[in-house]
Amino acid sequence: MSACCTPPHFTPPTAPPPDSALKTVVLIGPPNSGKSTLFNRLTGLRQKVANYPGVTVEQRMGVMAGVGREDLTLIDLPGIYSLSPYSEDARVSIDVLRGTMPGTPKPDAVLLVLDSLHLKRQLMLAAPVLALGLPTLVLLNMSDLMESRGGHIDPLKLARELGAPVALISAVHGSGLDAVPLFLHQQTNREAAKPLALPVMGNAASAHSWAAQVSKNTGYRAPLSVEGTRKIDNILLHRIWGPLLFLVVVVGVFEVVFSIGQPLSDGFGDILARIGGLARPFLPAGWIQSLVLDGAWKGVSSVLVFLPQILLLFLFIGILEDSGYLSRAALIADRVMRTIGLNGKAFIPLLSAYACAIPAIMATRTIENKRDRFATILVTPFMTCSARLPVYMLLIAAFIPNIVYLHGFLGLRTIVMLSLYLAGFVGAMTTAWLLKSSILKSSETPFILELPQYRMPTVRSLALRLMDRARVFLRQAGTVILCVTLALWVLAHVPVIHTPGGTISAPELADSAIGRLGHLIEPAIAPLGFNWKIGIGLISSVLAREVMVSTMGTLYGADPETQSMHLQTALHHDMTLGGALALMIFFAFAMQCTSTMAVVRRETNSWKWPAVQFLYMLALAWGAAFVVNHVVMAIFG
Amino acid sequence: MPICQTESPESDVCSPAPNGRILNYDQTGRSFRLRLVRPQMGARQLSVLSELKVGESGVLVALDLPESVQNHLMHMGFVPDALVKALRRAPAGDPTVYRIDGMEIALRHETAESIRVRAPEVESANTLPEDEEVQELTEAAR
Repeated sequence: MSACCTPPHFTPPTAPPPDSALKTVVLIGPPNSGKSTLFNRLTGLRQKVANYPGVTVEQRMGVMAGVGREDLTLIDLPGIYSLSPYSEDARVSIDVLRGTMPGTPKPDAVLLVLDSLHLKRQLMLAAPVLALGLPTLVLLNMSDLMESRGGHIDPLKLARELGAPVALISAVHGSGLDAVPLFLHQQTNREAAKPLALPVMGNAASAHSWAAQVSKNTGYRAPLSVEGTRKIDNILLHRIWGPLLFLVVVVGVFEVVFSIGQPLSDGFGDILARIGGLARPFLPAGWIQSLVLDGAWKGVSSVLVFLPQILLLFLFIGILEDSGYLSRAALIADRVMRTIGLNGKAFIPLLSAYACAIPAIMATRTIENKRDRFATILVTPFMTCSARLPVYMLLIAAFIPNIVYLHGFLGLRTIVMLSLYLAGFVGAMTTAWLLKSSILKSSETPFILELPQYRMPTVRSLALRLMDRARVFLRQAGTVILCVTLALWVLAHVPVIHTPGGTISAPELADSAIGRLGHLIEPAIAPLGFNWKIGIGLISSVLAREVMVSTMGTLYGADPETQSMHLQTALHHDMTLGGALALMIFFAFAMQCTSTMAVVRRETNSWKWPAVQFLYMLALAWGAAFVVNHVVMAIFG
Repeated sequence: MPICQTESPESDVCSPAPNGRILNYDQTGRSFRLRLVRPQMGARQLSVLSELKVGESGVLVALDLPESVQNHLMHMGFVPDALVKALRRAPAGDPTVYRIDGMEIALRHETAESIRVRAPEVESANTLPEDEEVQELTEAAR
């Protein structure tokens, strides 16, 4: 590599002394004040950000590379209202802030992020945080919005009142952030932090009056609240239009996933198949070619084709989360949730489980009541996560005819897909009700939900989300799916047959190791209308649901009878409609994800809960698939 | 304006409880109100937050809730003398969205029922949460 191609190196203006006492900096502030956005700015990392309180539920560490201070560690924390813990996520923040969190270094400096749009209330947190006696920089976030809406604050006066430096910033646009390295540099050079004479208080009422006084003394003028949010809510939270609009949007999204996503995915599939075809002449004929193309490539690409649809779904979820609608959905759902014994707050993790159950289970940390939290964790895997989408899409495309109703606005395929999502949701609600009226019974906890103002989702943040998601999906395809596919291919080709001529050849698929294993378990799944190949798919999909699709790709690719066929055609050739619908309902209910089980274990701190959850969901899935198979067979012959 | 000086910031008892919040708990930790303590104040009868109609405002008097809930709500701005406005009800009619300190916070009926409010008096409306009022007027003028 020639020297001319190296990019110009950025040298930070303030080189830190090597024996710096400053090592760990924490970001703290009320929920939804923009800490994670700032964290991403200061570290150059990509922590998830969205527009609702409780996005960050655990501590995240990063090196402050964004401001040229690689020697400093920044810790992003869940938002808190006060220093008395109210929920699991707040406990983490308070422990880290106090330096009592095992395994986390004591903080040397604090960046206190306050939302300048609601400064009067947000200042209440300033007093207890400043009273900790750590060097603190107060950052008034969203100051650009505050000023454009007619708000005003005198940062110098505020700094005098608080006895700590204050800076106006905008984490989204990255303005005013040079105050951070400046502050850190001063702290590095300073000998000892001088104690501040501040009112120390634990009582909320006195903190409130203190905050009110301070904001008055510093000439704080709250910005005009935007009419927009209220106007939007007049429609979205309307008695009739609200729920109706939600329904229309959901149906619309699935229509888009089919009508736009399907052609995209078909095109993508053709490209992947062509790549495989191009590679064929370069590989030596025989087992290597078979392993690479019929095994690995066929298996992996059968899952990869669903990338466009998954990204479309994530785009929709991203818009929901970034706009601020998620909290409204929780508000609407509270009524339903209370009849099953949970509260509307549990709806936020459940909704984000439509993307993936793992972050959703972690998001339950914002639920204050432990029993409510456990019930939510246990039902979260019922929500239709994006890993089920490839399985559904494959089976629906193979078995459900493309009939449209209502002048093309509603397709039969969309209806089947929506029914599967509904089945998962009903499964979750029923199970939650069962849990809450038996082993997890508890007295009702109050529902306290903050509704953020609506914000226009930025193209940048949506694009970043999609890129991150695509990367996760590709990594999964390149690791778990590839390994399973290779293992399956090997098992499908052993034991080798020694012919009398001295050459070796692969056995018939049914006689191979995998075929024998499949036939062994076939009696257990035959009543559901599944053949042994599906059985192998079910076993391998315990690792992750989308592995089902790659397994089918590999197995049908290894079978000479179906080798040349498209996977959809091969399935159609091999299964009944009853079996296909039963398989879909099986996937709606079964817990097939080792990562989720590991997270459930971690969050509940015992193996008991994931074990119970796995067996319960398996039993339910088997039962539902049995019924569906027999009913469909009875109706359609 | 230092209100009290204690060493530990986590202490909740550094100042006497503000205007007479009366709390009683049964064994399960649930609170109930003493119905006796309802002093007559202002022009209108003292009532609870859940009685506010959409669009109406009230001045918070006290929270009769378990300590942890009360503390949490107070840190969200539900402190005595704060002006609360019922903004809207959820489509199902139950949780109601309240505005306090410029934030929108949703509470269920039974929680709002344990928060005592009084009608904002005419003279206090001028002095109380000023910016709130100014905002209302400015918005109305627009």
